[in-house]
Amino acid sequence: MASSSSSVIKDAKVLMVGAGGIGCELLKTLALSGFADIHIIDMDTIEVSNLNRQFLFRQSHVGQSKAKVARDAVLKFRPKINITSYHANVKDPDFNVDFFKQFNVVLNGLDNLDARRHVNRLCLAADVPLVESGTTGFLGQVTVHVKGRTECYECHPKPAPKTYPVCTITSTPSKFVHCIVWAKDLLFTKLFGDKNQDNDLNVRSSDAASSSKNVDDIFEHSKDEDIAQYGKKIFDHVFGYNIELALSNEETWKNRNRPKPIYSKDVLSDELSKQNGNLDNDNACGDGLSVSAMSSLGMKNPQDVWSLRENSRILLEALRLFFTKREKEIGNLCFDKDDQLAVEFVTAAANIRAASFGIPLHSLFEAKGIAGNIVHAVATTNAVIAGLIVIEAIKVLKNDIKSYRMTYCLEHPSRNLLLMPVEPFEPNKSCYVCSESPVLLEINTNHSKLKDVVEKIIKAKLGMSLPLVMNASNLLYEAGDIEEDMVAIYNANLEKVLAELPSPVTNGTMLTVEDFQQELKCNINIKHREEFDEEKEPDGMVLSGWTQPVSAEDNNEESVSNGANTSDAPATAVESENDDDIGIVSPVKKRKLPDDSENSNTADDARHHKQLQVIDDEDDLVMLDGNLDGFKKRRVS
Amino acid sequence: MSGIARGRLTEERKSWRKNHPHGFVAKPETLPDGSVNLMIWHCTIPGKAGTDWEGGFFPLTLHFSEDYPSKPPKCKFPQGFFHPNVYPSGTVCLSILNEDSGWRPAITVKQILVGIQDLLDQPNPADPAQTEGYHLFIQVASDVDGRIQLSIREGSSNRQSSIPLFSSAIISLIKKLLLVW
Repeated sequence: MASSSSSVIKDAKVLMVGAGGIGCELLKTLALSGFADIHIIDMDTIEVSNLNRQFLFRQSHVGQSKAKVARDAVLKFRPKINITSYHANVKDPDFNVDFFKQFNVVLNGLDNLDARRHVNRLCLAADVPLVESGTTGFLGQVTVHVKGRTECYECHPKPAPKTYPVCTITSTPSKFVHCIVWAKDLLFTKLFGDKNQDNDLNVRSSDAASSSKNVDDIFEHSKDEDIAQYGKKIFDHVFGYNIELALSNEETWKNRNRPKPIYSKDVLSDELSKQNGNLDNDNACGDGLSVSAMSSLGMKNPQDVWSLRENSRILLEALRLFFTKREKEIGNLCFDKDDQLAVEFVTAAANIRAASFGIPLHSLFEAKGIAGNIVHAVATTNAVIAGLIVIEAIKVLKNDIKSYRMTYCLEHPSRNLLLMPVEPFEPNKSCYVCSESPVLLEINTNHSKLKDVVEKIIKAKLGMSLPLVMNASNLLYEAGDIEEDMVAIYNANLEKVLAELPSPVTNGTMLTVEDFQQELKCNINIKHREEFDEEKEPDGMVLSGWTQPVSAEDNNEESVSNGANTSDAPATAVESENDDDIGIVSPVKKRKLPDDSENSNTADDARHHKQLQVIDDEDDLVMLDGNLDGFKKRRVS
Repeated sequence: MSGIARGRLTEERKSWRKNHPHGFVAKPETLPDGSVNLMIWHCTIPGKAGTDWEGGFFPLTLHFSEDYPSKPPKCKFPQGFFHPNVYPSGTVCLSILNEDSGWRPAITVKQILVGIQDLLDQPNPADPAQTEGYHLFIQVASDVDGRIQLSIREGSSNRQSSIPLFSSAIISLIKKLLLVW
């Protein structure tokens, strides 16, 4: 056993996607486990905030490519192995199906849903097993995705980060997070962000009191306007006047607590605001991101909860500093959790609004966590998860299907286990991503027109009658009765060469084809090929990977008849593939733990964990609100 | 890139092509370069017969996210659309479009558009989104009527040849409102 492991490890070529929190641990563990050919992709550069847990990086590396530095660091203690680094986005077209095909297994240590989906699809298309992972604080998971054997990453929808309805944010906040979203997405953006963006900060489109004046003027800072006066005007407008206005809509407050308007004169004495103006010098050396209203006001502890007055002072001081020290950025600023002044402004604004609505105030540290969706990353969780990835990768390399496990790392022991192993689930038959095996179309994308694909492949071979052709979320063609303006577009598309379509179809593109009437869906992977044999391949294209690799290339007549009677063939092909899987493990058995009697519950538990965690980041991202609460609630049920 | 959102939107597109309520338009956005984006739909809602909105055609844009249908689409009228439950940016505030209350992934594009058509004539005063429309609605019902006619004219100038006839009282009201606007 041990020797067979070491030989598969030594010969394996693995691709790691991500060299961050999990990635650093993973690369180290792979190297120490004997892996000798490792490729690693990461588009990020090293930041100071990475250094507390991404142990391959040192302060001197800040600003350099994560993939390259991680490679160099590991080569120092394992100089004989091959590590290839790519400082690039995994979504670059260079990393196409052919690129993925060279690997025995792909290991993900990613921090976002989009890239995970992308890698999942490429692994399915290339038929390479994927070990997927994620951590959030003390929680984490490792899952194994093997085409046709286990569920793919997208077999079940992932919970998306929570968003809040505009009405709650603009008019009726009831939680602190609503105030944070208001401060960050509405007030901050209105004052410092892109002026052309829609902004519902003002629930009114014009100001009835001064009918000639556009309300947006209030937020405009004119050159000659005293900054302290301007700050107070904004303060009174958003926390005083706007609240009064909202209060006048009696209906809104029938079943809610009435907010209390707050004006700057009530919370600040003149004396204080003068003092603010005199503190300029403290920050004379501070530039850009180091400017801080807290230090300007002599406040040090970010864990203190400020009083309403302190919040008001911070708000006005932060506003002043933006307009005096960082004037050039105004109009282009986006909220960034690492921008101290922005965090101070948002904390203060959220707290003042919270005070107005009777919601408990929070410290800068807490507010920053909520505003930046931060769950503090735990290095040991990353290390545990990286170890589990390697264990699963070795099983995958040995093709030891029966031993595959999805493993969940828990915060509190469940049945004395902190690591909960679960047998993988089988593929979801109606999964949009993995249920149909994509077919491969070799074609010269610089010569062939969309019309050729529609007529000779989609209609003649796939047997569709009213096809709808899509490239990602762009519609290229729809047959049948449609709106007139669209008919014109589609007719023009039909005559276009594939590579010149509005969303170009090139090597590596996956087209989605559906029929208007039949319940038939099919994905076509496009592979560009320059030359075709005129006698053997008269269509100038070759379709493969689908039922009965048509004996029809001999003459056109035959190919037509083939098309006609195989209209439902792709569906059949999928069916038979699934039969195989069912033969291996029955659905009931799949949901059980090896040696436990209450196991189906456990599996369901695990499923819940999964639902809650999969979006999580290697790093830190997860919406605080509701997520962990939900976790507890679900576990109880 | 969510296959789920795209898969559902092609289903919505197909079912709309097969059958949709009379007078409504809903189709994916087309750009001058000939691309057709399934994630944004341009729609037209006809004013409901028998209401003050009758005869108007109101343009609405649906923005679908990758998380659709777990999350509702964002529905927007043109900026400044006059209605108590429409934000100044044009965003519609309606319970079935609110992830936290009425939205369910099973709600179809058809149901959304019909729901918004109903909202036009039945504003919900408990969730006001703009103050003018709200105050007018509460104070003087006929004022709102006047303003609605104005929206009809703005919203459908390209499509509607017969601009509704205004009584002299309504026209003077519109002039007054225009000053405030």
